[in-house]
Amino acid sequence: MEDVVLSIRDLHKIYPGGVHAVRGVDFDVHEGESVAIIGSSGSGKSTVLRCINRLIEPTEGVIELRGQQINTPNANVNEVRSRIGMVFQSFELFSHLKVLENVTLGLRHVRGMGKSEAEEVALDVLERVDMLERIDAYPGNLSGGQKQRVAIARALAMKPEVILFDEPTSALDPELIGSVLQTIRGLADEGMTMVIVTHEINFARDVADRIVYLDQGKVAEEGPSSIINQPKTERLQRFLSSMHEDKISEDIGNELVSTQTDHGYVPDGTGNRPRS
Amino acid sequence: MNRASPGIERIFSWSSIDSKSRVVILVSILLICSIPHSSGQETITGWNEAESWTDHDLNAAVIHGELVWVFGDSGIVRFSEDSGATWQNHTNLGDVDLISADSYENSMAVLSTDGIIYMKDGLESEWITIDSSQTGMKSIALAGEESLIIVGNEGAIWHYTEQTWWNRTTSFTENLHDVDFNGADDGLAVGNAGTILATDNGGTTWDYREAPDPESSIVSVSYFNPYRMFAVSDSGQIIYSTSPGGFEWQLREIESAGYNTTLGIDISSIDVVSSSKILFSGPNGYLGLSLDQGLNVERNILPSGVNTSFNDHAMFDYVSGTVVGDSGVILFTDRAGENEDIGFEIPDYNNFGEFVEYADDMLLSGFIATIKIVLFGIALGFIIGLILAMMKTAPTSLKNLLESYPTRQIKGLGIICLVSALWLIYSGLRRFPDLQLNGIEYIFTPVGDPRGFAMFGLGVAIFVISIQFVLADEKLSGPLFKIRPLNAIATVYTDFFRNTPLIVQFMFIHFGVRLGMRIQELMEGTFGDPGIDGIDYFFYGERAFLSAIFTLGLNSGAYQCETIRGAISAIPSGQMEAGRSIGLTYIGTMRLVIMPQAIRICIPPIGNEMVNLVLNSSLAMVIGYSELSRQGKLMIATTFQIFSAWGLVMISYFVVTWTLALLLRRLEEKTKIPGLGISGGG
Repeated sequence: MEDVVLSIRDLHKIYPGGVHAVRGVDFDVHEGESVAIIGSSGSGKSTVLRCINRLIEPTEGVIELRGQQINTPNANVNEVRSRIGMVFQSFELFSHLKVLENVTLGLRHVRGMGKSEAEEVALDVLERVDMLERIDAYPGNLSGGQKQRVAIARALAMKPEVILFDEPTSALDPELIGSVLQTIRGLADEGMTMVIVTHEINFARDVADRIVYLDQGKVAEEGPSSIINQPKTERLQRFLSSMHEDKISEDIGNELVSTQTDHGYVPDGTGNRPRS
Repeated sequence: MNRASPGIERIFSWSSIDSKSRVVILVSILLICSIPHSSGQETITGWNEAESWTDHDLNAAVIHGELVWVFGDSGIVRFSEDSGATWQNHTNLGDVDLISADSYENSMAVLSTDGIIYMKDGLESEWITIDSSQTGMKSIALAGEESLIIVGNEGAIWHYTEQTWWNRTTSFTENLHDVDFNGADDGLAVGNAGTILATDNGGTTWDYREAPDPESSIVSVSYFNPYRMFAVSDSGQIIYSTSPGGFEWQLREIESAGYNTTLGIDISSIDVVSSSKILFSGPNGYLGLSLDQGLNVERNILPSGVNTSFNDHAMFDYVSGTVVGDSGVILFTDRAGENEDIGFEIPDYNNFGEFVEYADDMLLSGFIATIKIVLFGIALGFIIGLILAMMKTAPTSLKNLLESYPTRQIKGLGIICLVSALWLIYSGLRRFPDLQLNGIEYIFTPVGDPRGFAMFGLGVAIFVISIQFVLADEKLSGPLFKIRPLNAIATVYTDFFRNTPLIVQFMFIHFGVRLGMRIQELMEGTFGDPGIDGIDYFFYGERAFLSAIFTLGLNSGAYQCETIRGAISAIPSGQMEAGRSIGLTYIGTMRLVIMPQAIRICIPPIGNEMVNLVLNSSLAMVIGYSELSRQGKLMIATTFQIFSAWGLVMISYFVVTWTLALLLRRLEEKTKIPGLGISGGG
């Protein structure tokens, strides 16, 4: 197909020590599509994502970016990575650099832009993630949500063909998640191609065009976001129920930016966080 | 990153120093300034004044036999039988001014302004008169007992020999001021406009010699021997020639006058007393003495009240003689006029002030020497540490390096290595018979030429490695390919330097490898001779200095490597992933992301290393580098003040390390980034 951005075929990863984390994963990511990868801990979600970026070398399988295999020794790994954005669970901002410098670093040293040109691009993406006010702050002085938005801006600035999100909200306090999710949703609406590993079931359903459910290193179920509501397999059903599936109601979809179901917290309408 | 690194002035300006540190600095300066100096020695004159029984100006002095004769205005003549201490009147020789005199063995001649020459041709003989009928003559010299030369204005040279006057005037007609002969044949005449005339045939013919400064007016010349000819100009230039015949003349760069070519004072007469000792005299009570051929000229102290202009000296030998001047002043000396230091002969080093006066120069030079090697050592050590730490943390394995090459090429490389390994083993084994040993067991006996053993061992090692290359499969799964070569090299390096004593490293590198000598020879080959001072000398003039900074740097690099490596490990691995994920290379991420954070973290332990380096620099004394500790030893060798010497050395080290620690603390504060690392306080 013409519009396949990312294609993963029969991906295997055996870690040194013998843990067989990924056992034959196949899926495609199309242009402008957001794919959410869900699954319980240890199901190989993050491993798949890191294999795509070659932060982990897959043991077997083929990964193609726009039809070109990228997991061979001869592929220019730096060039490939500069075409794939990555947002980490723990932000990984460069703590010795200010916000603006964090965003311009790749532009200047990978894209080879001049300082003013890079800053122009950086200010543009920082505006998109609503971080324009804090461009001179050090990451140490930002809240978690702000850090993650800067991290998204850093990935966006490189104008990647696909952005990989590795559990972008799991390290955040519940009240900080909203802004990050909103930013990601904004990107989805703009037609950015994305692969999102997440625990936010509601968010996945709301934002993703397609859901890939991984279990024990294999794709257990794959389909449009509606499979969250009507899971076909028993395993996904069990997984969803363990994520307090019973508490998901239709109306939450509108305000899910302030929802964090997998932490057991449901807004009670007063805006106060229950004391436990 | 640039924004984060503060300017040097922000770190080290006075206004940024807090009040507590200011007090400490001021008190330190005060303490240093208050170190007592002893009152110093008193110096007295080496000259005594003698009674001349006249107020006339005395112009000439000459030794004749056992007597000293002086001649002055209005025909005044005095002589002394006791080396100038007491003087007796002699009948005046005419009533015109006597301006110059000379003696040769038993003869003595005196020149008067009206051209009449008075001569004694024997010790006991009477004065005879010779009329030259010349006026404007300035100086007389005897060239043999029966031959005399007078020189004067407009280049006039007259030669009296065999009872006849000969005009020897040359084509050079500048006024001549002085003439001097060494023996009967060789003579020099000097005058205005840098005129130097020389004769080697008793004054019959005169040749021109080029003066170094054609502007100078040369007023006096002294022909001591064919290798020591000195002259002075009226502006205090010292001109000398050490070539027989006086063909080449040079201007002396006078060390005591700041390497100027002039003394900066008017001079009227020079007298070479011995091969190194020279007397100078001039107007306004100037008497100067040089003990090193004019390199250093020290002004003599005169008896109180003497401030006359001196005109001539006469020395019996190199210690005793007289000097005469205007208004009838005669001074005599029995120690060449040398100033005499009185006071303590042996300084009392128990007196701390006197000890300090002796020791401060040595301490200062040791202090500077220590700082020199420390600064270079720190820089070198830090660079080496940085490189090693990067090498140690580099994930590149042999597999990574080779996996993009086809297996066939790797096998080919293996075969080449195998062949060279076999050749090495073979040549190594072939050398064993040279050692006249029987049996293979002797290869473990370290005697004879070690190269055979080295080649054999190296061959075995390469053999083992190359076997794995030859047997390599597609996936390069052999254990060899898991080796990280950069890490291995760095590990060998650090293990070596951290497991041998520094003092042995010093001696091995300086005396064994002779690194300092090799570098110096390399630099000399490139940049030429470093001389004895200046920037060249600073960098490669001293072998021990070169060896010392390299030993300290190499040693400290091994330790700093581990420190920096620790700091790199402290950076979360996600930082590397984040850097790589935006497309930076490994080195790029290291440079732009990891190192700026790691170095901030490791400033305190690196500071520790640097302080250690300062303290370790004291071991450089074993290779003869004159740093603080060695100077301490030398001080004790002279003064026996063990407590004070080591005390001062210790304080000096403390000053260096404490300052270093302060600077590093400030650096740490100024480069701190909010949110990076945990630090106590603000």
